[in-house]
Amino acid sequence: MSSTVEYKSNGTIKVSKPNRGQTVLRWLLIGSFIFTIVGFFLMDYTGLDLTRAIPMTIDNLGQMFLSPSLNNTTWTNALWQVGVTLSLGFLATILGAVVSLFLAFGTAVNLSKPWLSNTIKGFITIVRAVPTVLWVLIFAIAAGLGAVAAVIGMMFHSIAYLVKAYSEAFEEVDEGKIEALRASGASYGHILFQVIVPQTKSYLISWTFLRFEINFGVAVAMGAAAGAGGIGYELFMASGFYYDMQEVGAITLIILVVAIILELLANRLKVSA
Amino acid sequence: MAVDKKVKEVNKVEERTDFNKKATDNVLISFDEDIEVTGQEVETLSKKEVKQMPVIMSIDNLYKEYSKGKNVLKDISFDIKKGELLSIIGPSGAGKSTLLRSINRMIEPTSGTITFNDKDITNVKGKALRQMRTNIGMIFQHYNLVDRLSVFENVLHGTLGYKNSLQGIFSMYTESEKEEALDIITELGIEDHIYKRCDELSGGQKQRVGIARALIQKPKIILCDEPIASLDPSSSRVIMEHLRKICNEKGITVIVNLHQVDVAKNYSDRIVGLNTGEVVFNGHPSEINKEVIQNIYGTDFDDLIME
Repeated sequence: MSSTVEYKSNGTIKVSKPNRGQTVLRWLLIGSFIFTIVGFFLMDYTGLDLTRAIPMTIDNLGQMFLSPSLNNTTWTNALWQVGVTLSLGFLATILGAVVSLFLAFGTAVNLSKPWLSNTIKGFITIVRAVPTVLWVLIFAIAAGLGAVAAVIGMMFHSIAYLVKAYSEAFEEVDEGKIEALRASGASYGHILFQVIVPQTKSYLISWTFLRFEINFGVAVAMGAAAGAGGIGYELFMASGFYYDMQEVGAITLIILVVAIILELLANRLKVSA
Repeated sequence: MAVDKKVKEVNKVEERTDFNKKATDNVLISFDEDIEVTGQEVETLSKKEVKQMPVIMSIDNLYKEYSKGKNVLKDISFDIKKGELLSIIGPSGAGKSTLLRSINRMIEPTSGTITFNDKDITNVKGKALRQMRTNIGMIFQHYNLVDRLSVFENVLHGTLGYKNSLQGIFSMYTESEKEEALDIITELGIEDHIYKRCDELSGGQKQRVGIARALIQKPKIILCDEPIASLDPSSSRVIMEHLRKICNEKGITVIVNLHQVDVAKNYSDRIVGLNTGEVVFNGHPSEINKEVIQNIYGTDFDDLIME
């Protein structure tokens, strides 16, 4: 038998040798399993009566979603507030998309110089690592809590996200198409807007729309957390101020419907692009 | 249908006996994928005629090394005549593509000079380089069209070299440019497809769009990098005959990289043979024989697959 074969401790033949990554992954899984078990034992359960808590939770959920109604606000107002939230998300996305397009030209390695590409990449990685809410709060220092800080903060994070998505799409463009235009005497700007953008248009649209959906969700949260207004603020008032389960349910359902409409719209756009 | 075809063939035969040149013209005029092209007679130039033509570009002692000490092109020197169809043949890796791209400076040569229209273009930069490139069209093996744009838009891309950034970015083409593009498209027989996206076309049609894009530049020279390497024999013939026609009728110099020796022999006025970066043959197609092939490809003539 070949001497290259290795044996397990029980004498059977090994068919594979785990590499470093697999070993790390195995220990991670074991570690998180142990922490989960230990975590349950360390929680504070005083005053918790499961026999009462579970039916009450179900009852609350039932009130929220089975008998939703708007008690402290009107339908007109609620829809208006949804419009406000959509505008916040839209503004942040569109501003972010324009800035991202130009930054992505500088980031894509086939269109840019390595030092510029690496600088932008490093910068956006840091921006992306910090959650959107934190950016909003950071900009609230300058702009004060409200819509302005929310839009700037969301835009900041959108840029970090879209630059990565756009530049990766740009890098997929066939080098030959760029060469063909360069050989005909076209300038750098011509190549960007006559080859790169038309060739990646459907990706650009679908990424931007995906970010818009995310920004709508974030804008709901920002309404409450940063006082940006919109349906998020109504939701915060209904739950934290009036403690009105039925209204919370109604608002949640409205947001859900809007999200589904956005999703359908995104699919339609992607097909036609 | 079948009868029609037969009548056509009879007509063709008659014309051919009538006058050699006329027959060639007839064959070259109507191109459509459905029509069988029977252009055996290609109007090429004799050795003497080529010799008398004025020089449009001369390449002197051209070297290119990618990594130190490894020359892809070694001491390349030859003249390119105005209005000739020049084929460059040689095995893979001989430096054909590098040579072609050195001519329009898509690749920077390490040393040597290229003179185009009595001007040294080896070191031109920026605007002058762009302007020089507008005078040299290029077509590619993989067509290199923007698939998601229409045939019309792709052809108009050839005019970008004459435009400033703003005009180009916002696709501001003049009516006369559009009309010119239409003329060229019609000439190449793809007028039925002008508003189609380029990814809907067949290979032969795509290559014709490529030729149209090069022609609208009003070039003095057209460089063709393996224009027929991805095409079937009948499309290849259509493309080669279009190139021949451009050369004969418009007096544009055409330089073609080719893999097929017999195609080169059939269509060119002159052939340059490259082997490992050196010119090993430079002469009239009629001078190609077994020894020359042996020299260029390093194998016997009989071992080559001839299409």
